[in-house]
Amino acid sequence: MARLAGRRLLFAAPILLVVTFGVFAIAAASPFDPVKAYAGTAALGADAETLERLRDNLGVDQPFTSRWWHWLTSAVTGDFGQSSVLRQPVAEVIGERLVWSSLLCAVAFLVAVLTGTVLGVLAGRRPGSLLDRVVTSAAYSLEAAPVFWLALLAVWLFALQLGVLPAGGLTDTASEQVTFRQVASHIVLPAGVLAVSQLPWFTLYVRQGVSDALAEDPVRGARARGLSESTVLLGHALRSGLLPVLTLVGSRVPELITGALLVESVFSWPGIAAATVEAATAVDFPLLAALTTLATAAVLLGNLLADLLYGLFDPRVKFSDM
Amino acid sequence: MTCEPTATSGPVWRSYGVSRRSTRTVRVRISAALVAATVLAVFLVPPLVQLDQQAVDLSSKLLSPSWSHPFGTDDLGRDLFLRCVYGLRVSLLVGAAAALTATVIGTAIGAIAGALGGRADRALMRLVDTFSSVPHLLLGIFIVAMFRAGVWPVIVSVALTHWLSTARIVRAEVLSLRARPYIDAAISGGASRWRVAVRHLLPAVLPQAALAAVLMVPHAMWHESALSFLGLGLPTHLASLGNLIQGARGSLLAGQWWPTLFPGLFIIVPTLAIAGLAGAWRERINPRRRSELML
Amino acid sequence: MTAPVLSVRGLSVRFLMPSGRRIAAVTDAHFDVAAGECLALVGESGCGKSVLASALLGLLPANAQAAGGAYLGDVDLLAADERTLARTVRGRLIGLIPQSPAAHLTPVRTVRSQLEETVVALTGTRGRAAVRQAAEAAAERAAFPAGHLDHHPHELSGGLAQRAATALALIGNAPLLLADEPTTGLDRDLVHHTVDELRRQVDVGRRALLVITHDLAAAERIADRMAVMYAGRIVEISDATAFFGLPGPRHPYSRGLLGALPERDFIPIPGMPPELGDLPDGCAFAPRCERATPTCTTLPAAAAGLVCHHPHVTEDLRA
Repeated sequence: MARLAGRRLLFAAPILLVVTFGVFAIAAASPFDPVKAYAGTAALGADAETLERLRDNLGVDQPFTSRWWHWLTSAVTGDFGQSSVLRQPVAEVIGERLVWSSLLCAVAFLVAVLTGTVLGVLAGRRPGSLLDRVVTSAAYSLEAAPVFWLALLAVWLFALQLGVLPAGGLTDTASEQVTFRQVASHIVLPAGVLAVSQLPWFTLYVRQGVSDALAEDPVRGARARGLSESTVLLGHALRSGLLPVLTLVGSRVPELITGALLVESVFSWPGIAAATVEAATAVDFPLLAALTTLATAAVLLGNLLADLLYGLFDPRVKFSDM
Repeated sequence: MTCEPTATSGPVWRSYGVSRRSTRTVRVRISAALVAATVLAVFLVPPLVQLDQQAVDLSSKLLSPSWSHPFGTDDLGRDLFLRCVYGLRVSLLVGAAAALTATVIGTAIGAIAGALGGRADRALMRLVDTFSSVPHLLLGIFIVAMFRAGVWPVIVSVALTHWLSTARIVRAEVLSLRARPYIDAAISGGASRWRVAVRHLLPAVLPQAALAAVLMVPHAMWHESALSFLGLGLPTHLASLGNLIQGARGSLLAGQWWPTLFPGLFIIVPTLAIAGLAGAWRERINPRRRSELML
Repeated sequence: MTAPVLSVRGLSVRFLMPSGRRIAAVTDAHFDVAAGECLALVGESGCGKSVLASALLGLLPANAQAAGGAYLGDVDLLAADERTLARTVRGRLIGLIPQSPAAHLTPVRTVRSQLEETVVALTGTRGRAAVRQAAEAAAERAAFPAGHLDHHPHELSGGLAQRAATALALIGNAPLLLADEPTTGLDRDLVHHTVDELRRQVDVGRRALLVITHDLAAAERIADRMAVMYAGRIVEISDATAFFGLPGPRHPYSRGLLGALPERDFIPIPGMPPELGDLPDGCAFAPRCERATPTCTTLPAAAAGLVCHHPHVTEDLRA
């Protein structure tokens, strides 16, 4: 297992290299001007000499390949440069916000997996039944719905109409500290919406896995032995049917990140996804580059996790074969 | 088990289950009808209705749905139904352009990878894997941020993140075709590889590529609305569905739900209809594999 | 005479295909199995034997229809609803040893966990230690080695998987054992071993055993009575010694089956069995039978465990 992890990490390195290279290449091909971005409106009024010095500092006249290399070598040591908009080291910006994003994603993911599994089992145990058709139609419809639209409607319903949950932010506007209760009440809507957007995939895959498993020999054998239907469903059909879902769970990281990007924007959640949008609007290149790299690393980690789970949970598979 | 009486004094048969009739044909028909309705609405309503969807009428600001305005009006008094129809047109056009671009790129790369094989194939597939490691929206946001918002950056950003699945499908198709005897025969008969590629491989690959393009339109629409919603997509005056939702944020906080709800529905319904129809098409041209879901 | 454990009367099973076609998998099966007795149901692949087994357990698919009666004690197996079948019949009144035993076990769970689960479901045993012990005892009853209990089904050899399936079938102490092709894929020694084990359950445990097989040699070793199935019908039921020895089988098909064995004449029966969806009106074997006459276009009446217009009767053999 450690060897598999090691091999995967080894393969991850070139991908990260190519991605970061691509990021710098795109920046070089774009009309993006790092000097203007750094200096902001002040660049308009500055004299040629200051601009020249800035150009030198930022290495603008060097080819993007050397800028990339320079960035890469510092990044490996943990220095991702300075955010041009927030005037803070990028590493600091990310560090402050990463925990909130992780909290949101973790809660949402957990809720989505659990609820999705329950719904999938309920739908899959009697394919074609009324419950199955309702669950399946709802799942396909939710999948088609943009998550930011769901978020807005959720705000309208729960925060404005019913008034039971806060409309955004991490804490109430009046409070000065971050308490557990505040965070707990503020995380319900964003995590709920994010969970609902990730839910359909789990529901549909679990449903497929369970209904397939129910038609196969191991379930026939279990039934023939006189086991109760709930034992057959949970101890046999679900166990076999959950396997493909488990192994694909890690591949859902990109969708989770995308969802988080939109949910954090709507709810003003102080995570890195919200920072990404701000960075994009203000064209904060150092922050954007770092965030893209981080997101790619997260996706690769997710894939590794998927493979590890597969090897762990399916007794027919050996790590040496993977 | 239910008992079924027989006409003569023959055996009394008992059933073991209710074979449920498939609702697939009904679903396909509904999807087809919705797609037709979408196309009609988008292309026929504007010339027929003759109303200027941009006309500002502040006296009918933010009216809730009623008979004269079935979807209500927005914050500048414009009829929301019309706005949604125009918005759908913009979103569909941008989505279709992006899907087409993505398909062209994906088909080219997939075909080259499949046709050349060997190291070129492996290198290109590595490229595909690399691209799929970056979350779509993030890469899209990055490209739009660098190139500034506008129609073409949006189309390019959506296309650059969505060509991957087409490349994989086309490559698989080309690989299976290469093995067929008639290709070998053509090449050994003296036809140049280029000729073989254009006359044989390309036509065979087209149905799959076309299907992939159609399936991609909803994704592209979704992606564009997300970008527009974040303020990084199409310019606001183009009023795509994403722009409409973004513009409705202010009214939502004041309690008016319809400027937000209806544009969203206009994204969902065509998405489901196109996906349903394309899914049925896919089942006809591909052998069915049980564990695959059309997600 | 004691009442038989299993009494099957006029059992028929048909499948309704989407095209509207009807497949008559089993037609009018009539037989009894008594305690301490082994009945072997033999026939070529695709003749409907396994469908009969599924019908007895109520495990037929949704497009199946059954008619007739199958009586096990007080229970009419065909009329019983799913609840009765799940709670009183399966595992408790009938112990099934399925075909391809490893495929009928859940691959992600160990043999031990599946044994323990069945112990908990079928017996009143509670408590981790007691259940564990009971499971190990069950494994031993079928000669399944304790060292392999923590393996997964795909890690078991054919013979071990067979024993695991037998162990599971015996947990409920069912009066009727149903073994579906217990010797497929096993080599000769293992075949003998397996059928001897099964016979032991009959003799020692006083159970009734219905063995479904196409392996006539194995049937000869274990059976008290033989039932021969062709194209969904049971065409002959005879005493095993009379079947394999003298005077021999009475139905021409059974004669043909025995004659096809390498140990005997090694002459195959000409032709192919008919499609179950396309059965002729009269005797289904007539096209391949050397004794066929125009009478055979009508269905023969069942008489003394035989369905044939021109059976091999003792007078013929004396001649």
